[in-house]
Formats: sequence, C-alpha cells, structure tokens
Amino acid sequence: MTTLDTAAPTTVRGARTARAWRTLSTSRTALIGLAIVAVHIVIALLAPLLTSYDPIANDANHALLGSSWSHWAGTDQYGRDVLARVLYGGRYALGVSLAATLLTVALGTVIGCAAALRGGWFDDVLGRILDAVLSVPSILALLVVVTALGTGPSVIVLAVAITFVPQVVRVVRGAALAVVPADYVTAARARGESTWSILRREILPNITDVVCVEFAMRASWVVLLISSLSFLGFGADPPTPDWGLMVAENRTAITVVPMASIAPIIALATLVVGLNLAADGLSKAWGVDRIREGS
Amino acid sequence: MLSFITRRIAAAVGTLFLSSVLVFLAVQALPGDVATQILGKDATPDAVAALREKLKLDKPAWERYADWVGGALHGDFGTSLVSGKAVGGEVSTYLGNSALIALVTVLFAVTGSIVLGVLAGLYRDRWPDHLISTVSLVGMSVPEFVVATVLVLCFSVALPWFPAVVLYGPDASVGQLLPAVWLPALALAVVMAAYIVRMARTSVIDVMATEYVTTARLKGLSTWRVVTRHALPSALLPTLHVIALNVAWLVGGVAVVENVFNYPGIGKLMLSSVQNRDLPTIQAIALISAVVYVVCNLAADLATMALNPRLRTRGRTR
Amino acid sequence: MTPIVSVNSLSVAYRSGGRDVPVVHEVSLDVAEGQTHALVGESGSGKSTVAATLLGHLRHGSRITGGSVQVSGADVFALPARELRGLRGGTVAMVGQNAGHALTPSMRIGRQIAEAGGEVPVTELLAQVRLPNPADLARRYPHELSGGQQQRVAIAMAIAARPKVLVLDEPTTGLDVITQRSVLDLIAALSDELGLAAVLVSHDLGVVAHMADEVTVLRSGRVVESAPTRQLFAQPQDPYTKRLLASVPRLDDTGLAVVGEAGEREVRPKAEVPADAPVAVSAQDVTIDYGSTRAVHGVSFDVRRGEVLALVGESGSGKSTLAWTLAGLRTPSGGTMRHEDGDLARPAQQRPLSLRRRVQLVFQNADTSLNPRRSVGDAVRHPLRFFGTAADRPEAAERARRLISDVRLDPALADRLPAQLSGGQRQRIGIARALAGEPDVLIADEITTALDVSVQADVLRLLDDLRRERDLACLFISHDLAVVRGIADRVVVLRHGVVVEEGPTETVFADPQHPYTRQLMAAALEPDPDALPYVDDTADWADAADGDDIWTDHGADGHRVRRWRPLDAPVAEGAL
Repeated sequence: MTTLDTAAPTTVRGARTARAWRTLSTSRTALIGLAIVAVHIVIALLAPLLTSYDPIANDANHALLGSSWSHWAGTDQYGRDVLARVLYGGRYALGVSLAATLLTVALGTVIGCAAALRGGWFDDVLGRILDAVLSVPSILALLVVVTALGTGPSVIVLAVAITFVPQVVRVVRGAALAVVPADYVTAARARGESTWSILRREILPNITDVVCVEFAMRASWVVLLISSLSFLGFGADPPTPDWGLMVAENRTAITVVPMASIAPIIALATLVVGLNLAADGLSKAWGVDRIREGS
Repeated sequence: MLSFITRRIAAAVGTLFLSSVLVFLAVQALPGDVATQILGKDATPDAVAALREKLKLDKPAWERYADWVGGALHGDFGTSLVSGKAVGGEVSTYLGNSALIALVTVLFAVTGSIVLGVLAGLYRDRWPDHLISTVSLVGMSVPEFVVATVLVLCFSVALPWFPAVVLYGPDASVGQLLPAVWLPALALAVVMAAYIVRMARTSVIDVMATEYVTTARLKGLSTWRVVTRHALPSALLPTLHVIALNVAWLVGGVAVVENVFNYPGIGKLMLSSVQNRDLPTIQAIALISAVVYVVCNLAADLATMALNPRLRTRGRTR
Repeated sequence: MTPIVSVNSLSVAYRSGGRDVPVVHEVSLDVAEGQTHALVGESGSGKSTVAATLLGHLRHGSRITGGSVQVSGADVFALPARELRGLRGGTVAMVGQNAGHALTPSMRIGRQIAEAGGEVPVTELLAQVRLPNPADLARRYPHELSGGQQQRVAIAMAIAARPKVLVLDEPTTGLDVITQRSVLDLIAALSDELGLAAVLVSHDLGVVAHMADEVTVLRSGRVVESAPTRQLFAQPQDPYTKRLLASVPRLDDTGLAVVGEAGEREVRPKAEVPADAPVAVSAQDVTIDYGSTRAVHGVSFDVRRGEVLALVGESGSGKSTLAWTLAGLRTPSGGTMRHEDGDLARPAQQRPLSLRRRVQLVFQNADTSLNPRRSVGDAVRHPLRFFGTAADRPEAAERARRLISDVRLDPALADRLPAQLSGGQRQRIGIARALAGEPDVLIADEITTALDVSVQADVLRLLDDLRRERDLACLFISHDLAVVRGIADRVVVLRHGVVVEEGPTETVFADPQHPYTRQLMAAALEPDPDALPYVDDTADWADAADGDDIWTDHGADGHRVRRWRPLDAPVAEGAL
C-alpha cells in the first residue's frame, strides 16, 4: 500500500485546478491546439484594429488584384480586400459555431446524464428517437430548416443544435453509464437522494473531462458543417465575410487570384486543426479517448 | 441468438417508422401555407387551390401520412413539383449515379484506413504512428469542398487527367460518368478514412494492452501471429460500426462534393429540390437516407454478432 | 546442483513524469529444479514484476536498472528476440491471475492450447488438468467456461510445451475457496508429475504455506527475508514478517487478533451481547429475484443491537444481494424485513428519512465508494447535512472532523481527495460516511476483501470497537471463514441463496454439521505448512428439506442445519 503524500495542496479546489493544469501542461498537443484557437479568437475580436479595409464595401476599381503591399492577399471580384474579409470572417464562423456548440453540448449533457441515470423505458424510447433523428443526414435537415426559416444566425444555431444533440447524448450517456454503477452513486441512492442532486454532485464532476473534449470535437464538426452550408449558399448571406462563402465566391477565379481562395481555406483549416488538436490532446491527457471514439 | 436477431430487426423497423414520422412532421411544420410557400406570394388563388388539391392538404395529417408511407412502400413517392415526373424514378436514377461514387469511396476508404489504422496502433508513439495520426487529423480538419477544390486544382487544372465538372445530365451512362467519378470519390474518401483510421488505431491499442494479448506473447508466439490471430479479430469489431456510420454519412456528404463537380447524383438533386421547395422529392430523399442509415447499422450489428463468439453462442449452456 | 532460475540483484524502475521510480531493488533469489519458490508481499511490493522478468517481460515503461535474470543457464534479457520466443513457453511458462482475461475471447480453446506448441495432443492436456469431456471442451470459447475451468485451461496452455519452470502469478486469487483448493492441488500434482520448478506469487500466506518449499518476503521492492517455508513460518526473523504472519486471521481464533509492533499476537475476547439486547433488524422468508432467476430463497434472520451477524458464502450465494436489499437498493419479491422504525422491504426512495439514516451500508471496494472529485471531508459532511444530523455548515464541519478521528484517522486528512489516501484510509472514510447518519444498523459488504492483510486487521478491529462504542447491529458479509470467526457473534452460511447452517459462531466452528460448511472449512488454508485440515471428512450430499420440514436443530442456542442426506445412502441423515 502506498500513501500519495505529494505536497499537500491546501484546498480541494486548488488541487483540482492544479491537477487539471498539470495534465494539460504535459500534453503539448492540447496546448498547441488551444493556442491556435485562442489566436483565432483574438484575431476575430481585434479584426478592426488589424486591418483598415472595410470587409464589405465594394470597390470595382480594385477587383481581382494579386498579392501586393497594399493588399497582402489580393482582392476579390468585387474589389474587397481578401485579408480583411478573412480576419473578419472568423467572427461569423466562431460566433455561430461556439453558440451552437454550447447549446448542443449543454442539451446533450443533461439529456445524456438523465438517460444514463434513469435507464429503463426512458432510455429505450430516447435511444429510438435519437436514432431516428440521426438517420436523416444533418446537411439535409439543415438545408430544410434554413430554407424554411431563413438564414439568420439564430436559426442556424438552433438547427445545428437539433442535428448534433443526438451524438452528444450518446457520448455523454456512455460516459455517465461508466460512473453510474460506482459505489459512491449507489451510496447516494441508498441515502435516497434526488436524481438531480445525484447528477449534480456525483456524476457531473466525474464527466467534466469527457464533456470538455466533446465540446472541442463537436465545435470542429460544427465549424466544418457551417462552412459547408455557407459554401452551398445556405449559410451566411452575402456580403457577410465568411470563409465558406469566400471559397464559393472566389473559386471560379482561382487561377487568377489563388490567394483569394487559399487564404480562407487556411484560416478554416487552422481553426479546425486547432480544435481537433485540443480535443485529441485533452482526451489523451485525461484518458477519455476510449469513451469518445465510441461515437 | 435468433431472438436477438428478431429484436434487432424489430428495433430497426421501429427506428424507420419514427424517422418517417419525423420527416413527415418536419415537412408539415414548415411555416405558412405550403402551397403559397411553393408558388410564391403572387400566385393566383386558383393555382394555390389546385396545388392544395394535388398535395391533398385538405385531408387530415395522419391520412396524408398513411397515404405517403403506403405509397412509399410500393415505390410511389408522388410526383415532383418541378419536373412533374414520378419522384421514385427520378430519385433512383440520381441515387444510382451516387452509388457509383459511394462504391469507389468505400472501397478506397475502408481498405486504406484499416491498414493505416492498424499500422498506427501497432507502432504506437513511434514515427509511423505520428505520421499517420497527423495526416488523418488534417484530413478530418479540412472540409470536403476544400479537398475537392484542391483536387481540381491538382488533377484537372495543373495536370489535366480528370474532368473538373461533369457535363452530362442524370441519364448519362456509366461509361460517360466513370472518368468523373474518381475525384469526388477521392475527396470523400480522404475525409471518411480519417475517422476510420483513428477508430482502428485506438481499438488496436486497446486490444494490444489486454491481458490475453500479453499472454499470447508470453506463450512465445511471433508478433505476426499475435496480431493476426489474437488482436485483430477483437480490434476490428468496433471499427465495423464506425464504417457503417460513415457509409450512412456519405448520403449527406455527397451533397457538397457533387455540387463542386456538378455530378448528377442524389446530393445535387437534394440541393436543387431544397432550392425549388420540391417537397415530395425532399421527403423521398430523407426517407431513403434513413433507410440507408438503418440498414447500415443493422448490417454492422449483425456482422458484429456473427463475428463475436460471445454473442453468437449466447443461450448455449455452460 | 545449479539452480534453474537465478535472479541476481535485479533492479527495475518505472519511468513516470520524467524520472525513474524504482519498483524492484536488488532482489536476488534462486530456484532449484523441482522446487516451488514463493514470492510473498502486500500490494506494491514488486512481486509480480519480479516474476514477469523470468519470461523477459516488463510492463510498458519499465526497464532493468541493474542485475540479471538467468533461466536454465540463459541470461533472459540478453537473448535475441527469436531465442526469447523459444524460451517463453518452451522453458518458462506463465499462469496469470485472471484466466477470464488471459484467454483470447475470439479463439476456440483447443486452438489456443495447440498454438502454445509441444507434442502433447490438446485433448490429453485437457485431461491432464482434470477437465471432463476434453474433446468437447476444446471446441468451446473461453466465455462458456466457469472461472475454475478457465484457470485449468490456462494451466493446460502453460504446460503444453513441457516447460521446466512455471510462473504462477496469484493463480487462485479470483476463485472461490473450494475451487481454489482444487486448482492448487492440481498445480501441486502437475509439478510433481512433470518435475517442474515453480515461482509462485501470492499475497495469501495460507496458499504459500500450503504450496511452497522456499519463501521470499518482499516489501516495497526489497527482499525482507528469505527462508525455507517451515523455518519462515515457525521462526520468522524480520519484524515485518512477524507482523505479517501475526495479522493473518486463523480459523481457531476466538476473537480478533491484536498485533504488536514486533509481531506479538494477542487474541482479544469478543464483547458479550446482553441477553436482552433489542432486535434491530428482523428478516423473515426473504426471497429476491433477478429477472427470472431467484438469487435468495426464503432467508430469515434477526440482528440484535451490539451484535455482529455474519453472512458467509461463496460468490453467487446471494449474500451481497441480501445486503443491498436491506440497504434499499433492491426490492425483495417476498417475505418481510423490518426495522423498529419501519418497513425495510421498500426501496430507499420510499423509506422515511429517519429509517434511511438508521440503516447504512459500507462497500467492498473503497476505491470506488468515494467520489474521486470530492474531498473525503465532503464525503462525510454531505450525509451529515442531508440526514439533518448536523444543523448547519460549521456544525457539519466540526462533526465530520470528529467522525474522521472516530475512525482513527487524522482530521487534517479531510481536505484530501480520495486518490491521496491509502486503501485502508479510504475504507475508514467509507465507515465514517456511514456513521454520519447515526445508524443503529451497519451493513458491511466484504469490507476487508480488497485490503492487504495487515490493513484488514486494523479495519476489523475498528469495526469491532465501533459496535462496542455505538451499540451497532452489524451485518457482516464475507467469504472468509477465518475473518468471520474472529469478528462475528453468530453465523449464517448461505449456498445458492439458501441458508444451510446457522448458529452462534463458537458452536458452528466447534461442530459444523452441514457438509457444505465442512467443505468450506476443509478448503480454507491456514498460514502454517503443517496445519491439518480444520475438518477432515466431507460427505457427498443432497438436499433433503421439503415442505415445512426444513431444519434439524442442534442444541438450544439456535444452531440449526438444513436437512440433507448423504448421496449414497437412501435415508436422510439429518432426519435422525
């Protein structure tokens, strides 16, 4: 038997934060991923300070220019500065994706935990319904919702949440199911505690790592889906600066101004790579990769 | 075991039923009067009334649902509001074209990704693993339309090997479509393979750490034998489900790629029918996607059962 | 004679967090041909690591930092890969702890044995490990066998290529006592038959005394003492060995052993339960079903305040099911269970708060019974607030500290997370948490099973002290007869959900009447190489209880036995 008398932390909260940080700092992958995402967020917030060009105003005199000192990434067919549009483009992508992911993961976590804890017919029926939702391709569901309700950001957030919740529920339910048979949950049941209190006190603290990883990974999917939607012309309305939209607009002129297509692609790819690296690194550092891959 | 199969098939049918209700309800829930929606604000009342008649909007919802599902079971999905042709026939033509892409994609993605995933798992934390993991991470992180665009740049513009866009309509022959299949299939395969590689890798690592693999090694068996006889049968089982999910995902995934290449497949039909608010076609595509999803999952479950002795021999006495 | 295995000042380190953590430190041992050498130690002593090096196997991340391992003249860690493969299986073979995990689930048993090499046909090997119907068995998959059969298959696999050395890593730890005994007998017989040398890793001193010729005691990766078995058990030299030996409960202890610093042993007499002690829990004809299978058939018992009632049985006897049902985690399908405060046949959610707090459960596995993300102080404070035994936060904090010191722990530990405590400390916190409701009934479900033997002795003594101090009625669930003998006032022996014998501990142990009880006692292994079996004869028997005529009484003190008859005799012996 071994007693782990490592430098006794003064408080549990302090110990928890310290532990989370320690595992995090051992994972270079997670740090790099989070750093990339952080850079994207900072750029999106500070976009007006980083460029003096207006991302929306047309300027027919300067259409389709190549890279130069005044336009680093050239201009598109309407004469808008590509770099400015890329810098501003993060606002739409990040804003909508983060909101949608937050909503999806929050809903999924509550439903998933409830399913794991209640079990029985509730779990069965829920499983069937979620399967039915999953069986319709998410892009088709999104297309239908968007054509019916318009392309406003709030509609997209809601639509993404509906199509992705079932997958989050599955993952969280799996993670919670691993916690439910633990004796400390049984002890709480024997005390006769309420379902909600067991969820909050015993189960949620033990699946926060899974939920965090799920958040990072789901965010990367959402970014991809929303950009695909924009690419197809069902997402951001022109002239909103958005990466998917930019690729669609500038693709035809790709041989003339390659940077106009490549710059948004790079922005999009680095953001998703960052999110995926963070998800990967965190799941490895916290040892939750097994539960996650089951999705 | 037989009861397991029956229960699993019953569950699949139940899911399909729920999906059909869901699809039907979702289309019903579109706001406003459907007929006005379709025809636009300045349609004549006569035209609206005629369309309502055609869509049977005067009947109660459950009756319309029963009509629709009843027809669908016989292959009758109604008539397209745009082309006026039978939806069933139209969808199946487009679906057939997409199946060509799907077949090539699945062949590439599944074989390639399993080989790579198993390699990465076996060489865990060494350079083959790092290389394969990094490439699959990038594959996961780039949207299909980007991969497709890059492929066009490389293999149609720089090296004119494959056509950048398809110039044929939906009724093109296989021979006409064949040259145009490779680039879309490759774009889809890259994305799809990325997921399967990761799944196969984790599952191989898990199994290699089990006690029975250690026991097999300590029996003095060669690495090849340990991997092929003891590890892989268990390691590849969970991968089956991911493959099934990905095949089902293809139905939606083709939408973007077919649009890039102007390929006359189900994804293109999906997009145009959404743009034209061709409700019967949308419903038909959604229902067929659900069938593909359910069948793929069912197949994966049954295959898992057939390959897993624990499930196969259930019910036999000790 | 040169030894066949020789480990020379072997050191192994595990790489963790960028530095080497030594797990084995300069361990040396020799095993002569045909001898059995036991490695004994508590968890973390490095005994399994040493054993695995005989096959040239190290855990992922470990490496040799000094010394060498020689088997049959070859330096194991200097062998090229090809020769190492030949050594594994051919010269040294291993039988692991859990055969259920050691057999590949997707392969038929016959093929797994066959690929281990050797000339001997599979069916012959299966017959050699005394398995019935070898030809049929060879075509089965591992999950279709019982735990004991799986372990026999693992042994058949190990001896397939006729190795010279067998490494046995806790070969019977997961097995029930009767199965354990038969597997150990098989191993001993095979070693003789094939002239095998064996290295036996075990934490169980009874197993070691029974099997080994020589013993090496390890502690924290170092050799404490090494001696021939008889000498070690008769005259242990090192104080640690003495304490270890003294901590093992014996079948003939009439109370709990109190072990001193130098290993001296004193048996503390049991507390008298007053004749007029009130009955705290009364169960009558309880039946419990799991779906269509019946786990418990008509069990009745009373537990009085201040009394320890032991439920004894092997896995599958229904003893834990009974405990969980009393705690309100399952609903019985028949019979009554009453507490003076209310009906215990109802699930926890439907019991009044006053009843829930008075019946408390302590779990088997202290590792999973505490929420890893909450401090142990919180684990004790929360039920105090929940049951209303503490009025406000400051009082709860104060009471929690007192409870933690009541279970003989430093209250300063309250701020730690469970992972920062040892197994024994965690189990004490589990007890403190149960005490927070101020219960009068404590259900202890195998609470010492997962603990090392010296820690087990401490926790048992704590439980005994607490029931004296707090006048607790204690339901003690255990599979270990020696532990039960030391702590329980009365015993109920369960088999397949049926009570076969019950009575005061002293009477039952002095004169066990049911053949199953006798079989359990005969199979128990004492930490003494010369110990005779606790009981000698065990009869083949069949159940003879029918209708209302179930019990045979033996004396007025409540000792009674379920009716049975010897299998070859037509008349029920118990009916006489």
